[in-house]
Amino acid sequence: MNRPKAEETLDLAGVPCPANAARAILKLAGMAPGAVLALIVDDGEPVRNVPPALEEQGHSVLFRTLEGGRWRLLVRNGGAS
Amino acid sequence: MHIYLDNAATTRPDPAVLRAMSRCAEHCYGNPASWHRLGVQAAAEVERARQTLAQALHAEPDELVFTSGGTEANNLALKGAAWLRRGRGRRVVVSAVEHPSVLAAARSLEAWGLRAVVAGVDREGRIEPATVRRALTRGTVLVSVMHANNEVGTIEPVEEIARLCRARGILFHCDACQSFTKVPIDLRRLRADLLTVNAHKLHGPKGVGALFVRRGTGLAPLLDGGGHEGGRRSGTPNVPAIAGFGAAVEAADPRDAASVGRLRDRLLRSLLRAVPGLRLNGPARDRLCGHLHVMLPQGDARTVLRKLSAAGVYASSGSACASGRPEPSHVLTAMGLSPGEASRGLRLTLSKHTTRAEVNAAARLIARFAAEESS
Repeated sequence: MNRPKAEETLDLAGVPCPANAARAILKLAGMAPGAVLALIVDDGEPVRNVPPALEEQGHSVLFRTLEGGRWRLLVRNGGAS
Repeated sequence: MHIYLDNAATTRPDPAVLRAMSRCAEHCYGNPASWHRLGVQAAAEVERARQTLAQALHAEPDELVFTSGGTEANNLALKGAAWLRRGRGRRVVVSAVEHPSVLAAARSLEAWGLRAVVAGVDREGRIEPATVRRALTRGTVLVSVMHANNEVGTIEPVEEIARLCRARGILFHCDACQSFTKVPIDLRRLRADLLTVNAHKLHGPKGVGALFVRRGTGLAPLLDGGGHEGGRRSGTPNVPAIAGFGAAVEAADPRDAASVGRLRDRLLRSLLRAVPGLRLNGPARDRLCGHLHVMLPQGDARTVLRKLSAAGVYASSGSACASGRPEPSHVLTAMGLSPGEASRGLRLTLSKHTTRAEVNAAARLIARFAAEESS
């Protein structure tokens, strides 16, 4: 699967849980359905909990990569708010 | 007849605020710290409001800590910041016209071994930057000056005072409860380290406020617990009130200030014409758009206020927190008024809901009751 290009990036490093997921959901709500958002989240609880919270809202987590101790998630907007 | 002229005490909530609060209370009752869908939904409401406030203040969302109101935010700012810095110095400077929550918090610091210095104001309630500069002696760790006074509406030169503090490495706190959404606040220009806002002065709900804490500013929490709000204020957030706060900020229109100011000036002109000897307290310029504080020529303002209330006009003599006490207003006495003069002070504060007809009717009644006090 080719890695899609993110249209926007939201850096959530240091943002406590679950405010990080909430901010990602708000950001995605302002983007077009199908658009891809890159999220930077901390290791540990954030990377464990943010992806399922987004998927529960209808978004798809396409890729996750560990970069310099933080995770970069590529999320496709499912159009849910 | 109901004419509400006590908008500095509190305001009527906007319909959009009530809708947001009702929707949240009914549908977003999850705990915003929970990871399930309802919890994340509640967290999204909190974060949406945080982003709205951050945008309005030109701050970052992470720099805002929700509190139970302005009083808690002021206490958190003074006690939390000064206590953490007590190793560097033990002196705190506040202006003489601050809200009781700032003055009382500063006095509490004295019990903790710090020293509170009260800086005086001029006849218009303005604290001169030179007065603050002289007070910034060795060991000063924090200065607190309000953006605009809650009784007479004087807008203080806080940008200049913030610069003076920053140049000396002293923290600057500003209580902006009265001015938020009425006077533009740009925290990129106003270099305050800490700034207090609340919701119920701007047609939002009671019981919610926020403290801006500039990135890198350490703050000891007042409330220990689950470490909410980035560890700076524990306690489950009041989600409906926070959503209402966000809605109030969204509904605020900066263009209202001009029309409210015109009505306020009309009220003053009517009163000056109808009540010989009536005087304006506070400045003619650099005053909050809705604020009017006048001194009756004779008598007691409390008698006039009682008669006004019976006639359906609601106003006050000063700060809502102090108006039930028999002591003269600390703001008016700091401005140089005698206790007798202070007892003749009448605070009339307008909002975007105030109409021209209401101003005309209120002016007629105030003139009649003031005349009865003089006879």
